[in-house]
Amino acid sequence: MPGKVVHNERTVSTYCYQCVAGPDLLKVRVEDGVATEVTPNFDASEVHPAGGKACVKAFGLIQKAYNPNRILYPMKRTNPKKGRHEDPGFVRITWDEALSLVADKLNAVRAAGLTDQAGYPRVAASFGGGGTPTAYMGTLPAFLSAWGPVDMSFGSGQGVKCYHSEHLYGELWHRGFTVSPDTPLCEYLISFGANVEASGGVCGVKRHADARKRGMKRVQIEPHLSVTGACSAEWVPIKPKTDPAFMFAMIHVFLHEHSRDRLDIPFLKQRTSSPYLVGPNGLFMRDAVTRKPLLIDAATGRAVPFDTAGIDPALEGSFVVDGIEVGPDDEVIAHKAVTVGTAFTQLVAHVKEYSPEWAQPICDVPAANIRRIANEFAAHARVGETIEIEGVTLPLRPVSISLGKTVNNGWGGYECCWARTLIGCLFGALEVPGSTLGTTVRLNRPADNRWSSVKPGPDGFMKYPMNPTGKADWISRPSARSAHRTLVPLVADSAWSQALGPTHLAWMMQDENFDQLPVATPPDVWFVYRTNPAISFWDTKAVGKAMANFPFTVCFAYTHDETNHTADVLLPDCTDLEGLQLLRIGGTKYVEQFWDHQGFALRAPAVPPQGEAKDFTWIATELAHRTGLLGAYNAAINRGAAGVRLSGKNYDFSLDPEKVHDAETIWDASCRAASAEVTDGAESDGLAWFREHGFRVKPFPRLQWYLYPKLVEVGLRFEQPYQEQLFRIGKELGNRLHEKGVNWWDKQLAEYEPLPRWHDLNALYEVALAKHFSVRIADYPFWLITARSMQYSWGGNVGLQIIKEVADNVAGHGNVVMNQSAAERLGIADGDIVEVRSPLNDTKGRVMLCEGIRPDTLLMIGQFDHWATPFAKDFEAPSMNALVPMLLDLTDATGSSADLVKVKITRLGAAP
Amino acid sequence: MTRWTMVADLERCVGCQTCTAACRHANATSPAVQWRKVLDIEAGSYPNVSRIFVPVGCQHCADPPCMHVCPTTATRQRDDGIVTIDYELCIGCAYCEIACPYQARFLDRAPHFAYDAAMQNETERADLARVGVAQKCTFCSDRIDFGLENDLTPGIDPRATPACVNACIADALHFGDADDPDSNVSRLLREQRSFRMHEKLKTDPGFHYLYGEASDGSPERVRPAADGESEAGHIRARGVEPSHQQHWDWKAAGNFICGGVGSGLFLFSAIASLRYAELIPLAWAGLAIVALGLSVLLLKIGRPLRFIYVLRQPQRSWMTREAWIAGVLFPLAALALWTGVPSLLIGAAVVAVLFLCSQAMILKWAKGIPAWRQPWIVPLIVTTGLAEGSGLFLAATAQLSAVSLLTQAAAATAVVLSALRAWTWRSYLKALEAEGAPTRTLAVFYAYRPGFFVLGLALPLALIVIGFAKAAVAAPLFAIAGVCITTAGAVLKFILVTRAGFNQGFALTHTPVRGSGNAGPAVKPGWSMP
Repeated sequence: MPGKVVHNERTVSTYCYQCVAGPDLLKVRVEDGVATEVTPNFDASEVHPAGGKACVKAFGLIQKAYNPNRILYPMKRTNPKKGRHEDPGFVRITWDEALSLVADKLNAVRAAGLTDQAGYPRVAASFGGGGTPTAYMGTLPAFLSAWGPVDMSFGSGQGVKCYHSEHLYGELWHRGFTVSPDTPLCEYLISFGANVEASGGVCGVKRHADARKRGMKRVQIEPHLSVTGACSAEWVPIKPKTDPAFMFAMIHVFLHEHSRDRLDIPFLKQRTSSPYLVGPNGLFMRDAVTRKPLLIDAATGRAVPFDTAGIDPALEGSFVVDGIEVGPDDEVIAHKAVTVGTAFTQLVAHVKEYSPEWAQPICDVPAANIRRIANEFAAHARVGETIEIEGVTLPLRPVSISLGKTVNNGWGGYECCWARTLIGCLFGALEVPGSTLGTTVRLNRPADNRWSSVKPGPDGFMKYPMNPTGKADWISRPSARSAHRTLVPLVADSAWSQALGPTHLAWMMQDENFDQLPVATPPDVWFVYRTNPAISFWDTKAVGKAMANFPFTVCFAYTHDETNHTADVLLPDCTDLEGLQLLRIGGTKYVEQFWDHQGFALRAPAVPPQGEAKDFTWIATELAHRTGLLGAYNAAINRGAAGVRLSGKNYDFSLDPEKVHDAETIWDASCRAASAEVTDGAESDGLAWFREHGFRVKPFPRLQWYLYPKLVEVGLRFEQPYQEQLFRIGKELGNRLHEKGVNWWDKQLAEYEPLPRWHDLNALYEVALAKHFSVRIADYPFWLITARSMQYSWGGNVGLQIIKEVADNVAGHGNVVMNQSAAERLGIADGDIVEVRSPLNDTKGRVMLCEGIRPDTLLMIGQFDHWATPFAKDFEAPSMNALVPMLLDLTDATGSSADLVKVKITRLGAAP
Repeated sequence: MTRWTMVADLERCVGCQTCTAACRHANATSPAVQWRKVLDIEAGSYPNVSRIFVPVGCQHCADPPCMHVCPTTATRQRDDGIVTIDYELCIGCAYCEIACPYQARFLDRAPHFAYDAAMQNETERADLARVGVAQKCTFCSDRIDFGLENDLTPGIDPRATPACVNACIADALHFGDADDPDSNVSRLLREQRSFRMHEKLKTDPGFHYLYGEASDGSPERVRPAADGESEAGHIRARGVEPSHQQHWDWKAAGNFICGGVGSGLFLFSAIASLRYAELIPLAWAGLAIVALGLSVLLLKIGRPLRFIYVLRQPQRSWMTREAWIAGVLFPLAALALWTGVPSLLIGAAVVAVLFLCSQAMILKWAKGIPAWRQPWIVPLIVTTGLAEGSGLFLAATAQLSAVSLLTQAAAATAVVLSALRAWTWRSYLKALEAEGAPTRTLAVFYAYRPGFFVLGLALPLALIVIGFAKAAVAAPLFAIAGVCITTAGAVLKFILVTRAGFNQGFALTHTPVRGSGNAGPAVKPGWSMP
């Protein structure tokens, strides 16, 4: 072993939640007060789904603490001019001065009113990484809660970099903010671009490795051979953005080439809307009195309400019935003796034309392969089989489909999410063992677990908290600069909703007015933490320009970066290994975190803060104190805003609301409450106990991995295949917008189809780009895509040497990845320096040639293009983010777009 | 007995480099020194492409080439199979790096840090003993020893298990005792099919690769080539195909050149001095050239102050033997030249030839460099040294006096040795082609071949023939011919060491199954096969 004699060695338990696939538990070895080694936490090997291990990113945390490029003291800007080419002139100030600067601004805001003349919150905040910053921001959520309205809609990547459509439709259909295969039992998985080996975290990697050894076949359908494609049994190089055609063709095979008995007929009849009757106007036929959707009792041939007990519904066929349709704005259309079909019948007709032969030229995949994959999927579905989970017999359907970014967001996201969920339903393979599962809820409430969010809706489905679209309650005046509640009913109104789409509208509105919406104002105060939208968003040039106009920006700063280049105040917070926080762990969570336990883990400081970095809880408390919000802040902590409610049935560790508490006191109370919560009040161990043990858990029932038993218990159906509700609210939303004179959302309104039709998305992109930039799109022959990197994704670790070092071992990092033959045709050799230009912008980089990518596709992994971040600014790595335009034409109805653009490539010269 | 063994499951590995990072932490290696890392290999042609992640590092061979060549005994092998390095003995000659066919060894000549200055954690764990010496994966032997002392089972108990295995998030890495039939690794190797890398080199590596097919007890299916060959079309081969060794540069080449020229010159001068005493200074010159080559070497090694340790391993290492022979050669030759005693002169000449042979053997034992380990390297280096010496001897004698019998004899000798050298060169190249070699090695040789033929054989032969025919111009022609012969040999060795010294690269005999289907074809990028 290297090094000098160590006099004092200890290990500290902590967690890593740098990416959305966490949290994972780990230990840090501390020698003579210096953190030297990250190791798994094998104390948690029986508790954590990946045996207490942490992924490669966690091994960057020690460098993160000691990085000489850190900002170690509060600083303020001295150059009032902002912009990329303006030197901020940051100078060191004291914490007192820094906090006074911020508090004075905040107090001025409170005095002026929490919202501005446009109705938007004067204070905005952007946090990156899919919610992960909350695991590091201590009690800041309590401060924000005490503050009041905060605009969280200035996106830092969401919409284009996230599973956006999946978040919304997943929550609607099966309480899946993200969706996962039940990997431990799955036997056949079709993965459309889901890069689980890069973005699935430790749990994803471990579960899939175990599944491979079990013999699970995974087919990776994706334009390039990602690490996930590499680890799959088969790679199908599909043309970018044509996945809906592939899935529609699969549905065609199931419905037009297979006999019905291969489907899960009881599931379709009892657990879906397949037997519901659809009227002439595309709405459910309903009982005129109860307004309940009707279906046909096969025994009597009579139309009865869907919840009539003891009947065998007719799955398909045409029937003559009486009833009503209830249209948008409660319009009632009465029918007498009208001939109608079931939703299933509509579906069968809908996919008739979508044969594999039809899909072949669209996807550039042989029809025989599409058909074979569909057949293999069906053959593995095991319809009729069961498995016992914790004493309950459930269907076993070991087949699943997962969707990746660019597939499940932007145009086509609806089609793909629908098709994936529907295919599950056809085989009863949704929310049952082995099949496709939701992971967690972020939009539905309550959010403590998925089961408790299952509430009956009026039509036999789970109730969903749509934003209102009625005449009386539509939110015509946006509450945030993205106008999310105004434009996107599906995005709901949880704490997460603002941070979902369409966050690019918030940025776009800083530059252009949207007819009939209030003129967007910049926020008076903008807080930024663990995010760098000047790099991580789309059209980063425009984003950078917009943020340079913000009058007062406060960045919790790790190093200098491209976003805090425009900051007015830099506040250095403790990094991962320095701060103190208690975090809820376990249960089910994205990406593949399915635990058999739930409880809490402590992030105990392994090393003292470097320089004058401060614990986030101290900062939040100071802000609350200096803005006169201490009482509300402490009350929010008592209510659970810091992760655990401090009082319960038989315990109360609430803080005195009027006192300033130090971080240790706050987290000690949290630890006590956590101990009590986990043990039903039997234990009350505090911070010291958690420092020693690291985590405390109790069992989480595996049965709750699956929504199906809860649905059966409540007597509900999955809202598939027919999207009557979406169809209706789409019409209502259109009515509202048109009444207000808003026509610029019409393209999005067209997406509210009850059965999504195929759209030529490639043409959609090409036409939009050609139109907006007045270019000949044929001059841009390549599709540019991106892929996640396990080493970098969400980590905010681009300035860490060890991460760069190990990422360089994984092919493609920092390069323009290009097909060998395509390059040869253009005279481009491996290592050449090239310019990649979209109609919007260009980027430069080094070419890496390979065979594992389509000839019409280029790939740039991760997000780079840094010009201010120390270390990273010297990478000379290309990035697609500056190349992807923010366009309404490329925005789908959920408010998202895909990381996709057309580009041309030009050789600039040989490698130096 | 115990044989600690690593088993990497290629079906599980996702190439995430968590093991790489964990090793960097556990062993406090400096940036870019990766005792453990995972290769990212792509093979095939679009759209039939596979991409494989292959953990590599020291294979802890049962017959470790690094240990055989180590001149200082710094590299040793424990009874449990772990190959160790004693940083206090290593002189940083890098011979082991070149002998290792797995590119597992590193030589960091100066302390390196993640950023410009050392961070606290780097200062805390800085180990100056590692600077300028060979280093590599230890299988975390400290953890194993700790475990054994505390009744823990390495590979099972994390405290006794290598850090990379502990950290592996795909459970792709396994560690245990292959000699224990009940161990975890023995079970894996019994139940699943596996291969070891570069089996043909007979190093008996302690690193096995599972490729995902269950063993049904039947014998291993025969692959196209035992050591693996590419059936797979294009290969994205960066970091995988043979790359040029980075350890021995012009200084090492200089030693081989000076060793050949000097010992050859000494040989001929010493023998000739028996009759022509005026050639004694020429013999001194030969000796000086040998000394120059060896002293240039001192510039190359990582720990020059420890150079004397080079003498510690005469029983195995040809580098030690070279040093010992040099140690005999210099005093003996000096004495012989000083006294002019014929028997001493003859004795010294024999030792000079042995010195030349030892240099040839140094290259032959460099198992990691296909162009050097080829057995024909020995006659090639010996004949080249002799030819070089004869060429310089000819050039010198041609200046000494009018053309004499001596000069003519020297010319005839040079012609014969040049021809012999050309023949061994041809045989060497043929043998290399027959056995298979890195394509870039062959490309270098093919590019050099015509020039070598002209400079090393055709031109000097022509000049000497003309010289014999036209006595008036013989002296300058002989001199030019001699210089040509010597130069050709020097260039050959320079190219051999600094241009054609591509390493073994990495190869797989099977690409793994991934969940379903069969294992794929072998991959051996960057190699020409017979």
